[in-house]
Amino acid sequence: MAITLRRSSSLLALVVVLLVAVAIGIAVGAVTLPLRVVLAALAHPHASGDVAAIVWALRVPRVLIAALVGAALGVSGSLLQSMLRNGLVDPYLTGGSAGAAFTIAIAIAIGLPTPTYAGLAFVTALATTVGVAALARRGRGISPERLILAGIAVTSLFAGLTTLIIMLAPSAGVSLSILSWLGGSLVGHGWTDLGWAATYAVLGFALAATVVPSLNAIRLGDARAVALGVDMERTRWMALVSSSLLVAAAVSVSGVIGFVGLIVPHLVRAMCGADTRWTVPASIPAGATVVVLADMLARTAAPPIELPIGVLLSLIGVPAFLFIAFRRRRTA
Amino acid sequence: MIDAHELILAYGDRVVLRDVDVRLRAHELVAIVGPNGSGKSTLLRALAGTLVPQHGTVLVDGVPVHALSPAARARCVALVAAEENADGDVTVRDAVALGRLAHRPWWQWNGLPEDDAIVDAALARVELVPFAERMLETLSSGERQRVWIATALAQQAATMLFDEPTSHLDLSGAYATLDILRSLAGDGAAIGVVLHDLNLAAASVDRMILVGDGTVLADGPVGDVFRSDLLTRAYGAEIAVRRTDDGTMVAVPRRRERVLV
Repeated sequence: MAITLRRSSSLLALVVVLLVAVAIGIAVGAVTLPLRVVLAALAHPHASGDVAAIVWALRVPRVLIAALVGAALGVSGSLLQSMLRNGLVDPYLTGGSAGAAFTIAIAIAIGLPTPTYAGLAFVTALATTVGVAALARRGRGISPERLILAGIAVTSLFAGLTTLIIMLAPSAGVSLSILSWLGGSLVGHGWTDLGWAATYAVLGFALAATVVPSLNAIRLGDARAVALGVDMERTRWMALVSSSLLVAAAVSVSGVIGFVGLIVPHLVRAMCGADTRWTVPASIPAGATVVVLADMLARTAAPPIELPIGVLLSLIGVPAFLFIAFRRRRTA
Repeated sequence: MIDAHELILAYGDRVVLRDVDVRLRAHELVAIVGPNGSGKSTLLRALAGTLVPQHGTVLVDGVPVHALSPAARARCVALVAAEENADGDVTVRDAVALGRLAHRPWWQWNGLPEDDAIVDAALARVELVPFAERMLETLSSGERQRVWIATALAQQAATMLFDEPTSHLDLSGAYATLDILRSLAGDGAAIGVVLHDLNLAAASVDRMILVGDGTVLADGPVGDVFRSDLLTRAYGAEIAVRRTDDGTMVAVPRRRERVLV
C-alpha cells in the first residue's frame, strides 16, 4: 500500500510540475507575458490581438511540440531500458535517432515536404534499431554491451553520411537549414507539424502500452519471463517498433535531441520505483517537463540568440550519462 | 501429465541428449540427477516447452507443448529456472503476482479480481506473507527461492519444474525447499526437479531420472536407480552406495589413491 501511495503521489507530482512548466513555457520568451494574461488568452482561443497571436500561433504549439518530443523520447528510453535491462540504453545511443536524422537530412536536401519527415524517420529509425539489435545479438539474447558498441558505430556512420549530405546540398541555405535542424531545434514549427508528429507518437504510446506487462516480467530475468508465458519475440519487436515510432515523432519536429531518453527513465525510477506499469506512464510527464524547461532555457539564456535545444541538452546530458555509467560500474 | 517421446536435444550441431523417453505423473516428485553438463537443465527446459527438441515430442496433458502459445504453455507447466539475476527492486508480492501473467490477455496491465486471493494463498503456502512488501534484494537465497516457488504456485499449473532450487542453500534450507515440493506433489501436482545433491534427492523424491553419457541411463524408484554401478557410469568416478541406520541411501565417492611420479 505504501509503495502504491508513493508511486501515485510521484506520478501526480510529475503531472502538476508539467502543467506548471507548460504555463511558464507559454509565458516566457522574447516577450514575457504575465501569467494572468497567458491564462486569459488560453481561455479565449478565438480572441484577436498580439497577445492571442503570440500565445496561440507561436507559444502553445511550440510548448506542446516540446512536451510531445520529451514524452516520446522519455517513453522510448523507458521501453529500451526495460527491454534490455540496461540503464545505459536510449534511442540516441542505439542509433535510431542518427538513422532518422540522416533520412530527414536527405529529405531537406532534396526538398521533400515536411509531412513526409515523420514517415521517413520511422522507417529508418526502425531499420537502424533492428540492424543494431541484430549486430548485438549473442546466442539467444541481445548483449547490452554489444548493443551500445554497435549503436555508437552506426551513429558514427550516419553522422558521417549526414555530413556528406550537408556538403553535397544544392545551396548554402539548404546546408544551413539541415545544420540548424540537426542541432535540435523547435523553431518554426506549428500546428500542422504538431499534428503529424502527434499521430506517430500516439501510435507509439498505444503500442508501448501493450508491451508494458511483458516488460514488467522481464525484470525477473529473460528465462523467467519466458517461463511465465511472455512471448519474447513479440515483446521485443513491439517495443522496437513502438520506440521507433516515438523517435520518428520526436526527430521529425525537433531534430536530434539526445540524452532525454537516457535520463528520464532514471529520474522516473528514482521517484516511482522500477515497475514498468509506473515508469512507462510516468516517463510521459517527466520527459515532457524536461524538454519544455530545456526549450524555455534555450529561448531565454542568451537573447536575442536562441540556443539549439539539442546542444543544450547534450551539455546537461553528457555529465548525467557519465554519472550514471560510473555509478553503475561502482555498484556492479 | 508430461510424456516425452524419443527426444533428441541439441544446441546447434552439438547433441546433448538422445533417445529420451520420460514421463512425469500427478502426485509424484521426480528428481533429475546427473553430472555437470550432462543435460539435466536442457531436459527440464524441453519438458517445459521453452526448448524445442531436434526430434521427438513432449506432450502436456496429451497436447504437444510446442503447439501451445507461450501463455497457454505457462498455464500448463511452470518452470522455475536456475539462479538468474532478477532486478532487486521488485517487491515479493509483485514478483509472485507475475505468476498470473499467463491468465490474462498479454496486453492487460493489472490482474483479474481473483488474482489477489491466489497470490495471497501462494505467499501463505511458502510462509512469505510477512515478506510481501519487501524488495527481492533484501531477501536471503532461501527466501528468494521461496518467492520463485510461490510465483510458480500462482501460475496454477498442474506440472511444476524446478532447476536446482537448492543451489546456494544450506542443508536445512535445501531440505525445507524439498519439503515444500513434496507437499505440492501431495496435493496432486506433477513435480520435476533437477538436483545436484544425490543424497538430498535420494532422501526426498519418489522417483529418479539419472542422466549421463548423453542419454537417460536409468529411470525408476530411488532404490532401482541409486545403484553403485549406474552412478559410477554416470559420474565417471567410483561411487559406493550405503544405507544409513534408518534405511536412507547415501552415495559415497570412493577416494582414489593418487600416485605422484
